[in-house]
Amino acid sequence: MSSVLRILLRRLGISVIVLIGVSMLIFAIARVIPGDPARIALGPNASAEQVANLRAEMHLDESIFAQYGYFVSDVLRGDLGQSLYTNRPVTTDIVQFLPATLELVIFAGILMVGLGLPLGILAARHRGRWPDHVIRVLTLLTVSAPSFVWAVILMLLFAFYLPLFPVAGRLGDSFDIATVTGFLTIDTLIAGNFSAFLDALSHLVLPSVALSLSGIGQAARLTRANMIETYDKPYIEMAQAFGFFPSRIAKRYAFKPSMIPSLTIIGLDFAAMLGNAFLVEAVFAWPGLSRYGVAVILRKDLNAIMGTVLIIALTFLVVNILVDLLIAFLNPRIRHSTRASS
Amino acid sequence: MTKPFILATALMAATALTTPAFAQTVLRLDEVAVGELDPAKASDYADSILMFNVYDTLVLPRQGGPGYEPHLATGWEVDGATYTFTLRDDVTFQSGNPLRAADVVYSLNRMHEIGQGLSFLFPDVEAEAIDERTVRFTLAEQNAPFIASLVRLPIVDQVLVQEQATDDDPWAEAYLSGTAAGSGAYSVTSHNPQELTVMALNDGYFLPINDAAPDQVRLRYSLEAATVRTLLAQGEHDISSQWLPPEVMRALAAGGAQMFTESGTGAFYVKLNTARAPLDDVNCRQALAHAFDYGTALQMVAITDDVSSGSPSTGAVPVGMFGANAPEMALTRDLDAARAYLAECPTAPEDFNLEISWIAEVPVEERFALLMQANFAELGISSSIATLPWALFTERVANPENTPHISQIFANAVTGDPDTLLYNMYHSSTPGTWQSPEYLSDAQVDEALEAGRRGPSDDEREAAYSALNARLMELAPTIYAYDRQSVFAASNRVHAPALSDPAMAFGVDGVGFTFRLMEMTGE
Repeated sequence: MSSVLRILLRRLGISVIVLIGVSMLIFAIARVIPGDPARIALGPNASAEQVANLRAEMHLDESIFAQYGYFVSDVLRGDLGQSLYTNRPVTTDIVQFLPATLELVIFAGILMVGLGLPLGILAARHRGRWPDHVIRVLTLLTVSAPSFVWAVILMLLFAFYLPLFPVAGRLGDSFDIATVTGFLTIDTLIAGNFSAFLDALSHLVLPSVALSLSGIGQAARLTRANMIETYDKPYIEMAQAFGFFPSRIAKRYAFKPSMIPSLTIIGLDFAAMLGNAFLVEAVFAWPGLSRYGVAVILRKDLNAIMGTVLIIALTFLVVNILVDLLIAFLNPRIRHSTRASS
Repeated sequence: MTKPFILATALMAATALTTPAFAQTVLRLDEVAVGELDPAKASDYADSILMFNVYDTLVLPRQGGPGYEPHLATGWEVDGATYTFTLRDDVTFQSGNPLRAADVVYSLNRMHEIGQGLSFLFPDVEAEAIDERTVRFTLAEQNAPFIASLVRLPIVDQVLVQEQATDDDPWAEAYLSGTAAGSGAYSVTSHNPQELTVMALNDGYFLPINDAAPDQVRLRYSLEAATVRTLLAQGEHDISSQWLPPEVMRALAAGGAQMFTESGTGAFYVKLNTARAPLDDVNCRQALAHAFDYGTALQMVAITDDVSSGSPSTGAVPVGMFGANAPEMALTRDLDAARAYLAECPTAPEDFNLEISWIAEVPVEERFALLMQANFAELGISSSIATLPWALFTERVANPENTPHISQIFANAVTGDPDTLLYNMYHSSTPGTWQSPEYLSDAQVDEALEAGRRGPSDDEREAAYSALNARLMELAPTIYAYDRQSVFAASNRVHAPALSDPAMAFGVDGVGFTFRLMEMTGE
């Protein structure tokens, strides 16, 4: 069995345990949030009898262990129950809202990697000089303010005062694109509608930039710090003594070892964006899972809370596994240590 | 030229090129999610907007005045607790099926069986189809507000809905939560309850439709204030929700937006827990009611010199309803009277220790909590402020010991009738809900509420609610802060007489958003 496969199996095993733990924890926490879910769902005008009927229908009048039993048996049948918030199956909601968030987070992730790493490398290569100072100030600025503040600032600058980008939704009103994947940048291309594709892309600009700015700053600062540390290593000094070009030293000898801690943090940041996207989604009226998640928590929609948290946890675990595999691929010491320990 | 520059230029060009150029007129507005499309579950404002455009009801509130007029019906007869309606013969549902008396019976039964939304308005009502065009409602007892309640009974297409019903879903709830089966002036093109509902004009509607009425309506859900402001400035939005903060409304008004209003069915109530000392004594309550600064409260919700989210309160019954006092009898602050009442109060001011609560989801209530704290402090009354999420509030009011001394509630009469506003607030049989944290129990109040419900004539109801109003002002279970008015910011591309001209207004929340009566100005 290859070392990468062993890492994969071990991570999958741990992930199953984590998912079960998360489900139990969230199941318990969701039930101690103040408020009667049946009362909230039925609205303030519902009679006591209506509330009692719904409580019975949701098994809320039974013990928490019995309720968890119903939940597990439903989940094993692929049924996450009905959302009291949207009055639809939770799976329908997740299928509808998850692609929107994933598309946003993936674009933000691309910006985070595509801008954060080069900026970090640039700062490290010009350590102590003006590019380094400028990048450090800018990245400090981006990590200092939360993404929703950037969302409002970007909206004011590039939509209100300078109307360059759209501010709400994922696609202009004039387009009607059939849903295939739920990723509008892909669905518009499948439909062969290039102007709709550009429109979908333009809708992504402000929210993905707002969401990624903090990550870009963090990735740049981390990459810079790691690169500087690597530059102090003897083998780099030796390469420099041999007269290798600075760009070759950076690319071949400094960047790769510096990437490993950065990748771990970027992976965590990427997964965390799934949960953190809700304010950006709220500001830009982005119909995603994060906004849905917050709405269902506020309404104590138990089934939808469980479904949303499990999906986010699952995505978190998948991203972590991918990062672990990537690091194992990049770092032979990890592969070898896995082989040795087995 | 670099690749990033080309990409950025392409994106900006795409934005400009893809700006929608509609051949048809589009009205864009927003409301708080979710938009509940199933008429048996509808209860919130967004649901009402959907309901009044996609479905029709037997009666509608009279435009520009009190009372109700036939809509799907041509008229009705009342015989004690029996109401017989004759239906129009020119109505077809959007499916093409004709409207029948059986559809009315089915709609009521469906609402009863699902037991959600506003089904509580029809607790003991049975419906029977006498023939194709005659339907008879039999009530358990005489109930004057019944006609008003019918404004909230949307009629669904029985034939279509039953085709979609299954053994697991006998009332086709899944189907009607995603699409519509009504006869309304607008059909549903697409519906996502958290994001957007798109509606299109129904050319086969049974009533004439304004030529300038929007061809398409896009109802968005849960837009942030900053987003709404930007969209209105960009010309990509037409009517805001009523839930924007006053500062944003003021900024929009200053920027040239017109202000639409809808009023007459509700108020902002400051509820006093009459079952908990020191507010179990009427003099202590009267001291608070007279110390409250009504003028400042109104200033806090003013948007422009002419438009406000509130109008002066004259008593327990909002102006315009049965039993309301005349508008010139506006309540005002009277510190001398407050001090006189306080002198009769058995609790010393410094021992009051009032808990003033506000609902966490309604930030404006915090300002009122601070106002009250300052107002009462002028009398030496001690108090603290507590923030309660709505869910926790509804739990706490379940018993009088846990109910805060002071709770703040915005309440509306969902049918426009005072019974739906006041009965559940003050009748002794309904304590311990969000509407009744006063825990009031008074025989005269009960008697007046029952007389108002019984009717049957308007004069008798006017007398009953006048007596109720007077008695409530004596007991002071509530500080009647102001009569509520919903305000919406709108672009100049839309003209909505029902929301801008009192002579064309309806007395029920949401009916003003009847899109077939609106006009797109083409600006």
